[in-house]
Amino acid sequence: MAVVKLKGVSRYFPVGNKPITALDKVDLTLERGEFVVLRGASGSGKSTLLNLIGAMDDPNEGEVFIHGKALSSLSDKQKSQLRSHYIGFIFQSFNLIPVLTALENVQYPLSLQRIANNEAKDRAAQALAQVGLADFIHRRPNQLSGGQMQRVAIARALVTKPDIILADEPTANLDSETSKQIMDLLGSLNRETGVTFLFATHHDFVLSRASRILELKDGHIVKDEQLQNLNLVDQIASGEKVG
Amino acid sequence: MLRLKLALLNVLRNGRRSFITLLAIQFGVISLILMGGFFASMYEGMREGVIRSQLGHIQIYQQGFNQFGSQQPEEYLIDAEVLQKVTKLVEELEQVELVTPRLNFTGLLTDGSRSLAVVVEGINPEKEALLSSAVKLTAGEDLFEEDTDGALIGDGLFKSLNLSVGASLTLMATTADGSFDARDVTAIGAISTGTREVDNRFMRMNLQHAQELMYTEGVTRLVVLLNDTKHTDEVMALLSEVFQEQGLALELRSWSDLADYYHEVVNLFDGIFFVVQIIVLAIVLLGIVNTMVMAVMERTQEIGTIRAIGGTRGEVMGLFISEAFILGLIGSVLGVIFSILLAQGITAASIMMPTPPGSSQNYPIRIFTEADLLWKNGLFGLLIAVISSIYPAVKASRMVITKALRFA
Repeated sequence: MAVVKLKGVSRYFPVGNKPITALDKVDLTLERGEFVVLRGASGSGKSTLLNLIGAMDDPNEGEVFIHGKALSSLSDKQKSQLRSHYIGFIFQSFNLIPVLTALENVQYPLSLQRIANNEAKDRAAQALAQVGLADFIHRRPNQLSGGQMQRVAIARALVTKPDIILADEPTANLDSETSKQIMDLLGSLNRETGVTFLFATHHDFVLSRASRILELKDGHIVKDEQLQNLNLVDQIASGEKVG
Repeated sequence: MLRLKLALLNVLRNGRRSFITLLAIQFGVISLILMGGFFASMYEGMREGVIRSQLGHIQIYQQGFNQFGSQQPEEYLIDAEVLQKVTKLVEELEQVELVTPRLNFTGLLTDGSRSLAVVVEGINPEKEALLSSAVKLTAGEDLFEEDTDGALIGDGLFKSLNLSVGASLTLMATTADGSFDARDVTAIGAISTGTREVDNRFMRMNLQHAQELMYTEGVTRLVVLLNDTKHTDEVMALLSEVFQEQGLALELRSWSDLADYYHEVVNLFDGIFFVVQIIVLAIVLLGIVNTMVMAVMERTQEIGTIRAIGGTRGEVMGLFISEAFILGLIGSVLGVIFSILLAQGITAASIMMPTPPGSSQNYPIRIFTEADLLWKNGLFGLLIAVISSIYPAVKASRMVITKALRFA
């Protein structure tokens, strides 16, 4: 079953008296393990698409399915639970909670799931170790570099073992060297965990790591290209062990 | 655990704002405790004043006195035999400090040139000295049993007749058998009961002297003083039962039944206290709501993040309400502690209050800090903090996630 499916999804935003179309009758399917890059100019609808898939916004037309479940049928609380269990988010400006340490920031989504404190701590420490921050777990965000903060955010997205991670310009606030390190990390996590990644980005160097490239223009997907540089999807399809 | 820690860290995050919120809560708690404590001391002062200057805790009358006694007081006197029996019965109770008889009547007091209507009270001076500890001697000397013709004159009456200590006066009254008689009395001192109206037309004399004037061996009432006001109802019930068993046709009145003025004042001040509570509530509520709304605005992106990573609306609401609870708890505890210190300081300073209307004595400010007052107002501070956070918390929980995430 597809992890994500969009059927005829449209989203309009009122600007003055006129509705502006952010997405227009978009159809899209994302499979498990895909490493998808979403490209497009500013205002092309990338963030809107991520918000809809992330159950943070509702389409004006069409339907979004996560694991075959229509989001329109869910209450606000059910959508929160869906985000908590199935979706991870990585934000452009990291969005860490400044008063919490790296460990506590990663632990927080687990505490929202009412997972016991000790277990949540262990899992958060493991996730931080996975992103190379085992020695920084007790630091607050203001004691970390931009790259380290984004790694904490990645660990936070991963710690709940989601099916899909949505990243909106995750490297926009990082220098090019750090951006490449972050993309390498995400690529290896994709291979290790089999989680589906969907990125909105302007950076072209990301393309070399993508298994699929989607290009948005004026609310339409104008290009949907499958690439061969990562074979994870094929591995999953053929039943090979992943990670 | 982590969610509680986050709430605590958020409280510490913006020290100045939390400090202002704590100040608002403390202001509310301190204001209410100090005012409540002051009113409680005033009520107690008034209550003990009327008990220990006029009423005692319990008064015992002949059956029917309170209904018909004002028209025919001589018909409703307690005779000497009953007086002796009742005194013995009452004195046996461990809660009783003393019991003393009084004979009350009205008369005409004259110094030869002017005459004034007076309310006379025949008393046992030794016992009355213990019972009427709130009655102050303002001139001359106190009354003793050997002062057979001595009289203590109400302060206002003493002044209006322009008397001096030792002045000879004549007291005229209608006797128990309906005739008219007079006795010479000597003004040995002036007294103040604390109530101006009483002091303007009141005098006290030896019971025996009063009984001679009235041609009676009876008394109007027996006044009972207890060792604690809180025993009043219990002793009333006990006495009622004992009198019934002994077949004594007597009736009882507690100080509360007789102190109409006290109840009027208490009702008035309770009304004032209620209005002040509402004003304090409004000030504290608006103060906390304002700072909490600011906190919500500042943390908009964080709220969006919590919602995005799976936090429900309830989770966000719970976070802000927990923060308010922590602030309320700290603010209330500090408020209670500062209230106790301030109350002790103010009481120790013995600041004198102006003489209240209707009173003839001024008194020092005292502020009581009874446990009941402290915990109720501490809880009030905590509840106000939590209630104040509901609107900002709902506002935070209702944020559109995508807009909140874009908020810079």
